[in-house]
Order: sequence, then structure tokens, then C-alpha cells
Amino acid sequence: MRERSESTLRPSTQRLLAQRLGVPFLVLASLLLIVLGKADLIMFERVRVAAADFVAPVLSALARPAASLASGVRHVEGLFDLYQENLRLREDNDRLMQWQAAARRLASENTELRALTRYQPYGASFSITAQVIANSGGAFARNVLVDAGARDGVARGQAGMTGEGLIGRVAEVGERTARILLLSDLNSRIPVVVGASRQRAVLAGDNSAEPVLLFLPGNNAIKVGDHVVTGGAEGVFPPDLPVGVVASIRGDEVRVAPYAELARLDYVRIVDLGLSAFLPQPVPAPAPRAGPNRPAGLFQR
Amino acid sequence: MRHAFLQRDAQVIYRLVPLTSSVFAVILSVVPLQVPGLAVAMPAFALMAVYYWTVYRPDLMPPSAIFVIGIMLDVLDGTPYIGLSSLTFLILRSLILVFRGRAANQEFALIWAGFFAAAAVAIGLQWLAICLLSMTPLAPRPFMFQVLVTVAVFPIADYVLAQLQRRLLLRV
Repeated sequence: MRERSESTLRPSTQRLLAQRLGVPFLVLASLLLIVLGKADLIMFERVRVAAADFVAPVLSALARPAASLASGVRHVEGLFDLYQENLRLREDNDRLMQWQAAARRLASENTELRALTRYQPYGASFSITAQVIANSGGAFARNVLVDAGARDGVARGQAGMTGEGLIGRVAEVGERTARILLLSDLNSRIPVVVGASRQRAVLAGDNSAEPVLLFLPGNNAIKVGDHVVTGGAEGVFPPDLPVGVVASIRGDEVRVAPYAELARLDYVRIVDLGLSAFLPQPVPAPAPRAGPNRPAGLFQR
Repeated sequence: MRHAFLQRDAQVIYRLVPLTSSVFAVILSVVPLQVPGLAVAMPAFALMAVYYWTVYRPDLMPPSAIFVIGIMLDVLDGTPYIGLSSLTFLILRSLILVFRGRAANQEFALIWAGFFAAAAVAIGLQWLAICLLSMTPLAPRPFMFQVLVTVAVFPIADYVLAQLQRRLLLRV
């Protein structure tokens, strides 16, 4: 069937011997890199950022057909449960009509109350939409690379979102790309507020689809179904962005199901309250666009 | 004369086929394919390329090339553990060369079975290393899933790489 004759497969023994000497050296080099990487050197980040910028055009070119392929698959998937989907949407619509009425009433009430207290609202001072051009392929890193970087005003510490909710935090920024560390990544730690009791906690990724809540007091009133939003006060995110819902409580282990479908990201929104300018920026970035209410947003809390 | 030169240049280019196809595999493994069900882990394309070329043409897949491929994969993946893939690939290469024997003439089923073992070793090593490095016991399930997905996709990679080998590398 296949023409893999023995003669072409026998490499010269000399060559293999020379290769053998190289292996211990390269193994040591790998080990050294791993140890150095553990020390979190800025150089490593620079290398990653530069590499991402370098291959961005290739990745952008490949991401487009991949995205249309994915949407095609979704279309076919959708065809199979059109009937169920229709029923569900009708129910949803009924429910949402009621919510709309409630929202209108609350909005007018809110405006009146704000006028009474002279409340100055938070507003995202920066918002941009970017396409996901790469995601980590391994089973142990959860991040996405987007095609917007420092030249578009993206900076470290900004929040990555979809229409459903938060996906993660901007961790590395290159000239034309940025890497967003997803909520589920092992190194992701995000301050959040849980439930109606506004319990503060930290949402920590552990590589699974559902990150866990850390630093909850023992006698918390958290229950399954509680909504989780960003905390904001710790100065990384705009507060009250939707994150997810408490999915399970097993003893001390409280897990949160993110609203955003982290495994299927194509376009994401990057938002910022204006705090990123105050976070350490290892890779030099041009000054982010100034928003009109940036100082107000920062000093209000 | 001119013809001979051209031929030699072509030879040089052909000799780079294993490396370039592996680099392509690295890039493919970070493209957001969004295949339903593959959300937990993408198939490890680079692993397939490294395995294939180490089994069939170890002379064209020297340790230095494997090292470069591993580093590229880690850098593009955005992992904090740069060097981990090159380390596992190098270990894998040594294991393959020990067990290879005359593997190149074997049935595909045996090559596939060998790949199953290779993927289990490589991804298992990575799981272990990350557990140690991050000092967290990681759930092994996503890693097992990645092994299965990778093994399931391997025949396609094998077909594509065999085509490349047959068309470009038969006389190199």
C-alpha cells in the first residue's frame, strides 16, 4: 500500500550518534527553560507577545475559514432541534415580556432615585470588539489570543466579555494581539461578588469548565443558582459585570458555571473602567484612550 | 550542471518537509476550530507530526528540530511552562527510537497502537509535570480526553503525512 522501503528508512548510524549527543543538552535546556519560566520572567512574556504578534496575520487568515466552518456546524446542529428551540423561545418570549415591563418600571424609578441622590454612574471608558484568532490547544492552558492589541488601546487588566458575560482578563498585550486568560485557567483569579448577600470571594480557575470560589467565610448563605458578578473594588474590573451562576456546592467547594461559553469564543468585547493605566505594564504600550469619566470612575469607590 | 544544482536545492527543501509540516501542525493546534465536543481539549497535532516523522524518518527529525517545535508550541499556546512540550517530545523521541525496531515496515494498526502509547506517555508526563509545577492536583480527565481525541484523529494525520512522504521524500 505505502512505499516506505527499508533503504530510505535506515538513517546512517553516524548521524544518529551525533544526534544522540545533542539530546541530553536539549533536555537540560528544556528543563532550564521550565525552571526559568516558573520564575515568571518578563523576558518570557516578551517572547510570547512577540511570537503572537509575528504569527497573527497567519492566524487571522486561518481563523476566518475556521469560524465559518464552525458556524456551518452550528447551523446543522440547530436544524435538528428546531421544534424544541421554537417552543423554548416562545416560553422565553413570554417570560421576557414580563421582565421588560419590570425593567421599564425599574429604569424610570432608577432615574428618579439617581436624580435624588446625584449619583454618578460608572461607565466603561473603553470598549472594543476583537476576533479570537487562536486558543490554547493543550489540556492545561485556557486562554485565547485576539486580534486587537496596544495599537487599538487594549491594556493589561481589562475585562474580556461576550454578550453573555465575563470570559477573563487581558493578561498579555502585544502591538496587534492580546492574550485573554480565561476564567477557567489555572492561573486565573478574579474578585467577585456572590448572590443577594453580596458575599465577596475570589473566582479561581482550576482547568475545569467550572471555576471554584475561594476565600468564602464558613457561614455564608450561598446557594445553588446565586448569580456571580465581578467585584470591581479590587481594581481590576468594572464592577457588576455578569460572570456566572453557582452551579454546585459540595462541602467547602463552591463551583460557578460561567455564563459565557468559554469553549466556543469567536468574537469578544474588551472593556475597561480606566484602571488598567495603573496596573504594571511590562510590555510598553501607548497611553490608553482617555475616557471622559475615567478619574471619576476611579476615585468614586 | 545547472540541473544538478537545482536537484540539490530541491533536496535541501525536501529535507525540511518534516520540520515545516510539524510547524504547520503547531499552528493548526492553536487555530480556534470550535468543533463541538472538542471544547475540553484539541487534538495534539504537533505530537502526531513528531511521532510520525520520528518513526518513519528520524534522520530528518533531529532532536534540535523537535526542541524547536516544542518551544514554538509552548510559546504559541501561551502557557507559563515554556520548555515542557520540548522536554516531553524529546523523551518521546528517545522512547520511540528504542521501541521502533523495524516499525517502519509494520502494519498501520501497530503504528496506531504505538501512537496510543506515545500520546498517553507524552500527555501523561505533561499532566504530571503541571501538577508538580503548579502544586495543584489537576483533574486527569481533560488530559485523558485529549489522549483519546488525539489518537482518534491520528489516522487522518498519518494519511496526510504519508502522502507528503511518498510524494516528496521517497528519494531524499
